[in-house]
Amino acid sequence: MDDQAQPRQRLLYLHARTPSVFSDVLGYTLIEPVKGFTVEISGGEFEWPYVSVHDAVVDGWQIVQFPHLQSPFSDTELDILGYEFILQKMEVIP
Amino acid sequence: MNDAKYLLSDVDMARFLVNGYHVVELALPDGLNEQIAEELDALTANPGDAITESVPALWRVVEHPQVRGALISILGEDYTVNSHRHWHCKLPGSGDMQWHQDGTNNRGTTIDRLLGLYYPHTITADMGPTVIVPGTQFRNAPTDRMATYTNIRGQVPLTVRAGTFAITHYDLWHGTASNRSGVKRHMIKFLFNRTRENEAPSWNHDPEALNRARDWGARDKAQDAVNVLAFGNPLGVSQSDHYKERTIRQACWQELLGQRAAN
Repeated sequence: MDDQAQPRQRLLYLHARTPSVFSDVLGYTLIEPVKGFTVEISGGEFEWPYVSVHDAVVDGWQIVQFPHLQSPFSDTELDILGYEFILQKMEVIP
Repeated sequence: MNDAKYLLSDVDMARFLVNGYHVVELALPDGLNEQIAEELDALTANPGDAITESVPALWRVVEHPQVRGALISILGEDYTVNSHRHWHCKLPGSGDMQWHQDGTNNRGTTIDRLLGLYYPHTITADMGPTVIVPGTQFRNAPTDRMATYTNIRGQVPLTVRAGTFAITHYDLWHGTASNRSGVKRHMIKFLFNRTRENEAPSWNHDPEALNRARDWGARDKAQDAVNVLAFGNPLGVSQSDHYKERTIRQACWQELLGQRAAN
C-alpha cells in the first residue's frame, strides 16, 4: 500500500490559561507529519486559529494528553506558562 | 552622577518589573548606527567577547547617557559592564531560534543582571527580529521546558528603529524569528551586573507615587506605579499565576526601594 495513503498524525500543542478546555489559549504549536517540517516563532502578527482548546475540538482535533495536575505545587513559585494539552488529527497528508 | 533626566520614572520602573523589559530609542550622533552596521557587515569571523575591540564605536552606545540612565535606574549607580558580549549576526535565510533563557534561572527578588540588546539598523518583521515574552521573567522554567511552545499570546517581536537599545531581565523568555530578508540582521548583546544592594531608589523616584489608591476602574491602564504593579498582567495569565507574580514583583520593588538594606 502506498505510504502516502496512510493517515498520519498531526500534532497540536495548546497551552491554556487554566486546565479548563474553555479557557484562553496562551501558547500554540502545530506539527505537521511532513519530513523536514519545522516550527517557527512569528516575527510579525500571528493569526491565532483557536481561542480555546474547545475551539480546536470543535474543529475535529482530539485531545491525546491532558495537563498533569498532580505535579508538585507551589503557591509562591511560577513555572511553565499555562496548561499543556496535546491534540491530534489523523489525516492523509497529500 | 548621570544626568537625572535620563533616569527612569516610577512608572517606567513598575512597567519594567511587570513586563521584564525596557526599550530605549537612543539619540546617537548622526551616522554612528550606519558606521557600526558597516563595520559589522565587513567582519568575516565572530570575535566573541572581543566584538568591542573589533568595533570600538560600540562603546559609544553602551556609554550613552540614555543607556546609563536606564541601567543605573534598575541596577544602581555602580553597575558594571560584564566582559561577556556577543554579536548575533542573523544571515539571510537563517531559521528561527526557539524560546530560551541564556543560562539557568536567577529566580529571586534581586535584579542583579540585565541583558542589553543593541540594533544598529532598523529591524523589520522579515529580518528575524528578537521576540520576547513579557512577564515571563519570574518563571522558574528551564529552557527545555519551553520546547513545546512556538507562538505565545502577547509575545513582542522587537521590530525596532535603528539605534534601539532593549534592556531585558536576564530570565525573560526570548527567541528569534527567521530571517527571510536579503540583509544581515545585526544585534549586539551586552550583559550588565549589579554590584551592591540598593539603599535608596536609584531612579527618579517620587515618594508620593506610592500613595496612590488602587484604581479598580483603570487597573493597569492607570499611569502610576501602584496600579501598574498591582494589575499588570501582560500575558493574561490565570488568577493564581497573577497573584504569585504580583507578590514577586512587589518584593523586587521593595528591594529596589532599599527596604531590604534598611532591615
